Amino acid sequence: MQPAWVTDARVVVVAGKGGVGSSTVSAALALVAARDGADVLLISVDGRPGIGPLLGGAPLDREDRVLRIVPAGKGSGRIRGRTIPPQQAFADYLELKGVGGVLRKAAAAASLDSIAAATPGLEHLLVLGKIKELERERAADLIVVDAPPAGHAASFLRSASALQAVVANGPVRVQADEVAAMLADRNRCQALLVTLAEETPVNEVIELAYDIEEALGLSLAPLVVNSCWPDRDGLLSTVTAASKSQGVKLSAANKAALDASADFGRSRLEGQRRQLARLADELALPRIVLPRLPTADFGAAELEIMADALAVPVTVQR
Amino acid sequence: MTATTGTTPAAEATPPSTTLADILAGSRVLVTCGPGGVGKTTCAAALGIAAAETGRRVVVMTVDPARRLADALGIDVDAKMYEPHEVVGIGSRGGALFALMLDAETTFDRMIVERAGDAAKADKILANPVYRSIAGSLAGAQDYMAIERLHQLHDSGEYDLLIIDTPPSRDAIDLLEAPDRLVRFLGHPIYRALTMPSRSFARVANAGTSAFVWVVRRLAGPRLVEDTIEFFRSLSGMEQGLRQRAAEVAELLRADSSVFVMVSSPRAEAVHESVHLANAVIDGGFGLDSVVINLVHPLPPPLIDMPPIADGPLADHIAYHRDLTALATSEREQMAALIAVADGAPVTEVPLLEVDVHDLDGLGRLAELLVR
Repeated sequence: MQPAWVTDARVVVVAGKGGVGSSTVSAALALVAARDGADVLLISVDGRPGIGPLLGGAPLDREDRVLRIVPAGKGSGRIRGRTIPPQQAFADYLELKGVGGVLRKAAAAASLDSIAAATPGLEHLLVLGKIKELERERAADLIVVDAPPAGHAASFLRSASALQAVVANGPVRVQADEVAAMLADRNRCQALLVTLAEETPVNEVIELAYDIEEALGLSLAPLVVNSCWPDRDGLLSTVTAASKSQGVKLSAANKAALDASADFGRSRLEGQRRQLARLADELALPRIVLPRLPTADFGAAELEIMADALAVPVTVQR
Repeated sequence: MTATTGTTPAAEATPPSTTLADILAGSRVLVTCGPGGVGKTTCAAALGIAAAETGRRVVVMTVDPARRLADALGIDVDAKMYEPHEVVGIGSRGGALFALMLDAETTFDRMIVERAGDAAKADKILANPVYRSIAGSLAGAQDYMAIERLHQLHDSGEYDLLIIDTPPSRDAIDLLEAPDRLVRFLGHPIYRALTMPSRSFARVANAGTSAFVWVVRRLAGPRLVEDTIEFFRSLSGMEQGLRQRAAEVAELLRADSSVFVMVSSPRAEAVHESVHLANAVIDGGFGLDSVVINLVHPLPPPLIDMPPIADGPLADHIAYHRDLTALATSEREQMAALIAVADGAPVTEVPLLEVDVHDLDGLGRLAELLVR
C-alpha cells in the first residue's frame, strides 16, 4: 500500500542538485505509485536517457510510451515515460490554441530559437505549460516530473513568474498565469526535494526549499535524503574492544582490515549524523531517508529497494 | 591542448609520464568540466591553491549559480563581487589565489557601456525591459559573460593562471560554444533585419522576420515586440566588436596553454555523462588534457577466514567492511571507462575524504592529493 503523500498532488516535481540521484528517486516514486495500481506518467525534462531502461523500458523520447506494467493486487499499475522537448511543446501549444496554418508556418519560419531569445524563460514555460495541460486533461493518476538539476530547477520553476513580470498580456501571459496557478495549488502540484547528507548538498537544498516555497508558493512533499549509510552503532567501539567483549580472537590481518574500514566509516557516519541534524533544525519538513546501496552501478534490483524505502508513511504538514 | 588536434608538435612530444602537476604548471587557462555533484568546483579551487603555492597568481572563476565555490572559500554569498577577491592565507613564494563568482548582469552592463560609444545610447539599452530580462536570466547570456570575463581577466595581465569552473553539463559544453553561438545569432537573418533602420526594415524584411515579429506579437503582445526590436537595433553598432571578441576568445581557448580537465566520480551515472562530455570536448577541437576521478571510496584490505559473527558490535564492523568493500570494488570497475576516455592523458584518483571538503584546510588537503 502506498503512503498517502505519494498521491497528495497530481503532479510531483522531483528536484535536487546534480549527483544526488533525483532521477532515480523519480523512477522509484513512479514505481511506488504504480505498485498500488496507479497509472503514472514520468516526464524527464532534460531527457535523461537512462531512466527508461532503469524501469525496464526503452530510453525516453518525446513519445508517450509504456515502460512497465506493475502487478498491483488483483489489477495492475503502469509506468509511462516521455520527455518534453521545447520545440514539441511549442508546436503542441500552437495546435492547442487553434493557431491557424499561416501563423503556424510563420512560427516555424521564425524558429523557436529566435523567439525564445526574445522571450527569456519561454522554453521552460512551454514545457511547464505542456505539463499543466497533461495535468488538466488527467493524462495520468500521477505525473512525476524529473526536473533539471538545482540551479536550473529554480529557474525552471520560476519561468512562469519571471514571464509574468515581462509580458503584460497575450497568450504567453495567459499561459504563465495558468502555470503559476497550478504551481501554487497543493492539490495539483508539489515539489519533492532530494539531497545527500553532506555539507554542500544540504546547504543547497535548504536554499532551494526556501526559494521554491516562498517565491513560488509551491508546496513541498517530504524531503528525501538519499544514499545514507545504515547507522551501525557497533562501529563506535573499537575493533579491539568489540572483539574482546565478544570473546573473539582476530588475526592481525583481519583486525587491521576492520580497523581500516571502521576508521573511515566512523567519521563518515558522524558527518552524516551531523548533516541529518542540520536538516532537522533548518527545514520543518517530514523526511525520508533512503539507504546507500553497496554498488556504484544502480540497476533494476536497486530501484526496487529504493521504492520499498520510499514507500513509508509520513505526516505532511498542512 | 594535448596532441588530439595534431597540430602541435610540442604537445605530441609530451612524455606519457606527465602528471596533473605538470599540466597545471604549463597552463595559463585551465577549464574544469564534468557532471554535477562530483566536486568539480572544489577541485577547481584546490588546483588554484596548488598553483598559488608554486608562486603563481591565480584566479578561480565559477559560473555555477549555486555558488559552491563561495561555500568552500568562505566568501559572503550575498555580496555582489565584480573584481576577484583575494583568498587570505593562500600562496607562497609570491603566489596568491583570487576567487571570483561570475556576476553575469554586471558584466553584461559594463560590456554595453564600454561598447555603446556614448552614455545616452548605453542608458537606453540598459533601461530596455528585454535587455534587463536577457541580462539577468538568459542561460546563454550567462555563458557568454563568463567568456567575456575570462577575456578581460586574461587581458589585464595581472594573473598567471585563470581557472574557469564550468557549470555542470551532460552532453555539451555550452560555455565553450557560447562565442560561436553569439556569432551565429548575430548572423541570423532575423537579427540582421531587425537591426536595420525602420524604413529600410519595412522594405527588406524577409518572410522569416515578419513571421518573427508577428509570432511574438501574437504570443506576447505588441509591447514586447517594440522592446525587442529596439533592443536589437540598439545593439547594432556593437556587432563588429562582439564578433571580434568571440573570435578572440575562441582562439584563447584553443591555445596550447589552455587546458581542459575533466572532473568525475566513480558512480556509473557520472561516468556515463563524463564519457559523453569528454567526447564533446574532444570533438569541439579542445582536447582533454587530464581526468580527475574524485570521491573514490577507499578499498579496505580483505578479511581472510573470518568466522561468522551474528551480532554484537563486531557484527556491525564486519557488515560495514563488507559494504565498503562491495562499493569500492564496484567503483573501480566503473572507473575503467574514464581511464579509457583519458586516452593516455594523466588520470588522478582522489579518495573520498573522511570529512567533506568545505573549508580552506580541506581544500589544501585536496590540493596535495591532486598534485602529489
